Amino acid sequence: MRATHRWGILWLAALLLAPPAGPAATPEEALSALEAQLAGDPDNLRLGSEYRQRAIQANAYDRAIAFLEKLVADHPNLPNAQLNFGFAYVDKIPVAGSITQVILANNALAAFTKAIELKRSWLALYTRGNSYLYWPVIFGRAPLGVADLEAAMNLQKAESKKPYHVRSYIALGDGYWKMDDLARARQVWAEGLQLFPENAALQARMQAEGEALKAVIDETYDITKRVDTSLQELWAEENTTARAGK
Amino acid sequence: MKTIGWRALARRGVARAALWAAAGALLLRFGSAANDAIGEIRFEEIGSQAGVRHRHHTRKFSGKNADVLGMFTSGGSAVAVGDFDNDGFDDLFVTNSDEGKPNKLYRNQGNGTFADATERAGVAGGNDPLSIVADGLWFDYDNDGWRDLLVARFGTPLLYHNEGDGTFRDVSANSGLGKFGNTIAVIAFDYDNDGRLDLLFGNYFQPENLLDLKNPKILPNNLDNAVNGGGLTLWRGQGDGTFREVTAQAGLSKNTGWTLDVGHADFDLDGDQDFYVASDYGTDWLYLNNGDGTFTDVTEKALGFDTKKGMNAEIADYDNDGLLDVYVTNITDEYMKECNMLWHNNGDGTFTDLSKETATCDTLWGWAAKFADFDNDGWLDLFATNGLRSAGKENYIPVLLPMIITPGIDFTDVNNWPAIGDRSWSGYQKKKLFKNLSGAVFKEMAGPAGVDNDLDGRGLGVGDFDNDGRLDFYQTNADQPALLYRNVTQPAGNWIELKLIGTKSNRDAIGALVTLRAGGQQWIRHVDGGNGYAGQSTTRLHFGLGRAGQIDSIEILWPSGLKETVQAPLNRISVIEEGKGLAAK
Repeated sequence: MRATHRWGILWLAALLLAPPAGPAATPEEALSALEAQLAGDPDNLRLGSEYRQRAIQANAYDRAIAFLEKLVADHPNLPNAQLNFGFAYVDKIPVAGSITQVILANNALAAFTKAIELKRSWLALYTRGNSYLYWPVIFGRAPLGVADLEAAMNLQKAESKKPYHVRSYIALGDGYWKMDDLARARQVWAEGLQLFPENAALQARMQAEGEALKAVIDETYDITKRVDTSLQELWAEENTTARAGK
Repeated sequence: MKTIGWRALARRGVARAALWAAAGALLLRFGSAANDAIGEIRFEEIGSQAGVRHRHHTRKFSGKNADVLGMFTSGGSAVAVGDFDNDGFDDLFVTNSDEGKPNKLYRNQGNGTFADATERAGVAGGNDPLSIVADGLWFDYDNDGWRDLLVARFGTPLLYHNEGDGTFRDVSANSGLGKFGNTIAVIAFDYDNDGRLDLLFGNYFQPENLLDLKNPKILPNNLDNAVNGGGLTLWRGQGDGTFREVTAQAGLSKNTGWTLDVGHADFDLDGDQDFYVASDYGTDWLYLNNGDGTFTDVTEKALGFDTKKGMNAEIADYDNDGLLDVYVTNITDEYMKECNMLWHNNGDGTFTDLSKETATCDTLWGWAAKFADFDNDGWLDLFATNGLRSAGKENYIPVLLPMIITPGIDFTDVNNWPAIGDRSWSGYQKKKLFKNLSGAVFKEMAGPAGVDNDLDGRGLGVGDFDNDGRLDFYQTNADQPALLYRNVTQPAGNWIELKLIGTKSNRDAIGALVTLRAGGQQWIRHVDGGNGYAGQSTTRLHFGLGRAGQIDSIEILWPSGLKETVQAPLNRISVIEEGKGLAAK
C-alpha cells in the first residue's frame, strides 16, 4: 500500500498541474487522453481506475479490455496494471450474457492471480478472494476465496487500521458461510463489528439468520449487479494522507 | 347459437361426464362466482385415467458424441391442441422423437377420456433414420373447415390434409415445404392478411443433418452471441396446400440465430401480425410487420437488455391494459442467474422487462410457459415448465466449466464437449405456477395448486378439455411421460369462451383480436397460431370474468379488417362466424 500512497500523492500533484478537461471533451477524447496518460504511467492504479470508470460510462468495455490487455503485455511485471486489467473484465460482466460472464470472471481471476504473483498485496489478495465468492457454490471456489481472504486479513492485522479493512471481515465471513461454517462466519463478522461498529453490512449479517441471512449474502454476490471497482476507499485514504501532508 | 357446455356432457350419458357436469351445474345454480369468493387454483393430474399418458423418447445418436447431440436435440417433446374432428372438444397431437417411435393423436371423447386415433388418422410417422420430429401444429391451410396438421422436424416437415372423416392424407410432397431445416418451432399466421395462413419456422441448428453429420463444427459459435444457427424461414400459403418460401423477400434472412420459439401478435395494433423470436445463445428479435410483405427488425430500439437464452415466446395482455406483452423463459439456476423476461408493452414501440417487479423472473431452466386465467378471476395466471435433464446425482456443470473457460476452445466442435454420461443438468426442477395478483405482481403457488411436478418439462398445451369453462393443460416432458392437469378450481369466476370462424379471414381466425367489456373492466384476447415453446394451445378464446354478472360488449377485429360487435351469453362456449355474429345452434 505504501507504493500506492506515494503514487497517489504524485497523481494528485499531476492532477493539479494538468489543464482541466474541458466540458466539450467527448467520451472518445476523454478515453484517448487517459490511455495516453496510462501508456506513460502503466502501473498507476488510480489512473487506471479513472480510465475504467470512464469506459463504463461510455459502454466501452471491449476497448478498455483491449487497451489494458496490450498494456500488461507491454509491461508484464506491473501488479497494479494487472489489477486494472482484471477489473476491466469485472466491469463488463453486468452487460454480458450469462456464459460470457463466466468467461469474463475467469479472465479476471487470471489477471488477479498474476497481480498476486507480482506483488502479494492486501488489495490483490482481497480482490481475488472476493472474486472467488461470486462463483456459484457448485464450482467449489469458496475455499480458494477464503484462503486469499485469510491472507489479506493477516496482512491488514499487521498494519494500522484502515477503513477499507472492514471489507475483509465481511468477505471472509461470507466465505466461511459459503463453506457451511456458520460459527466461523459469525466469529469473523463479530470481530469486524468490534472494529467497525457502524458498518451496516456486518450488522445485517449479525442480525440475520437462516433464509434471511442467505438473502443478505445472495444479494451481495448477485452477478447481475455492477460491482464497484472504483477503489474509492483507497483514494479517500490517500486524500486524507495527502491533506495531512504525510 | 351453438352452446357446448356441461349440458352437452350430461347428454352424452357418460358417468364421468355426468360428474363433471354436476360440478358445472353447481357453478351455475349458485350464480357462479357472482356471489361467492373465487377459490384457490387447484388441479388434479388425470393423464392415465384420461388415456393420454404418452411417453416421449428423445433421439438416440450413435458414436462418441451421442449424448451431447442427444442433449442438443432433446427439445422436441411437443403438443398441439385442436379440435380436428369438429365435435366441439379439443383433441391432442403429441410428438415423439426417437427413431421409429410414433407420434400420437388423441381424440377427446368428451367424457374425460381420450381415444387413441393415431392409427386411423395415419399421423404416427416422421421419426425416420434421417429425421427427428420436433413440433406439431393444427391449422386449416385450405380453409375447408377441417384443421390440417403440420409436423415440424429436424428434416423436412410433414403436411397432412384433414379429410374430415378421421383420416389424414400426407400432402408433403406437393406442398413446396421440402426444404431441409432443423425446425424446432412453427407457427401459422396470416402475415399478409390475404385470408390464407402462412407458416413461420424457427430453426435451431443450421441446415445440416445431425443424423448424417459430415462436419463436427455444428454447435453454437458463441455461447451468448452465436450467429451460426438456423434462423427463420417464412412460407407464404397459397391456399391450395402449397407454400412458397418468402424469407428473403420478407427481410428475414439476416437472422441466423439459434431459434427456439416464435410468437406472433399485433403488438402495435396496426392491423397486421408482428412477431417475437426467442433465441438460444444470443439476443432475441422483434420484427414489426410493414404491411407490405416485409418486416423490420426493431429489436435494438424496442427491447432492453436480454439475457441470451430465450426459450419461449408467449404473448398475452397480462395486466389488462389493452396491449399484448411477451413472456420469455431463460435459465436461472444456482450456476446461472439469467432471469426470465416479461416484456411489458409500453404502447410506444418499446417494451420494458418487468419480470423482477412481477416476481416471474425465476423458473429455473425454463421451457414453455403459458398465460391462462385458471381461476377465472379476470387476470391471466402463468404456468411455466422447466428442467433439462434429470439423471444421476453427479452434476454436468462442473464438468462443462473447463471447456467454457479454456481460451481458444472451439465451441462449435461437438468433439470438444465433454460427455454427459449419467449426469444431471438442471434436473428435478419443480414447475412454477404464478397467480396473477391484479396485474402488478404474481404469487407462485404450484405446490398448493398440485402442479409442482419435477419432470423434465418442454411443451404446454392449454385448453378447456371438458368444456367446463376452466382451463386445463397438457404438459409434455423430454424422455418422460406427459401429464394432463384438469382444473378443479372451485368456485371459479364467471367466464366465456369464443370459437371464431373466419370467412373472409382465414378460417381459424388466427390473428383476430377480441375486446370484451364487462362490469366496468376490459379484456383483450387474440387467436394465436401456436405461440409458446413446443405447444399449441386451443384457438378458442377464453375470458375469465371474475364476478362480472353480464357482458357489456364484445368487439372483434378480424384479420380481414372487419370490426364486428357481437353478443354472447355468460358461462357458455359460443361460436362466432365472421360477419354473421353468433353461429346458429
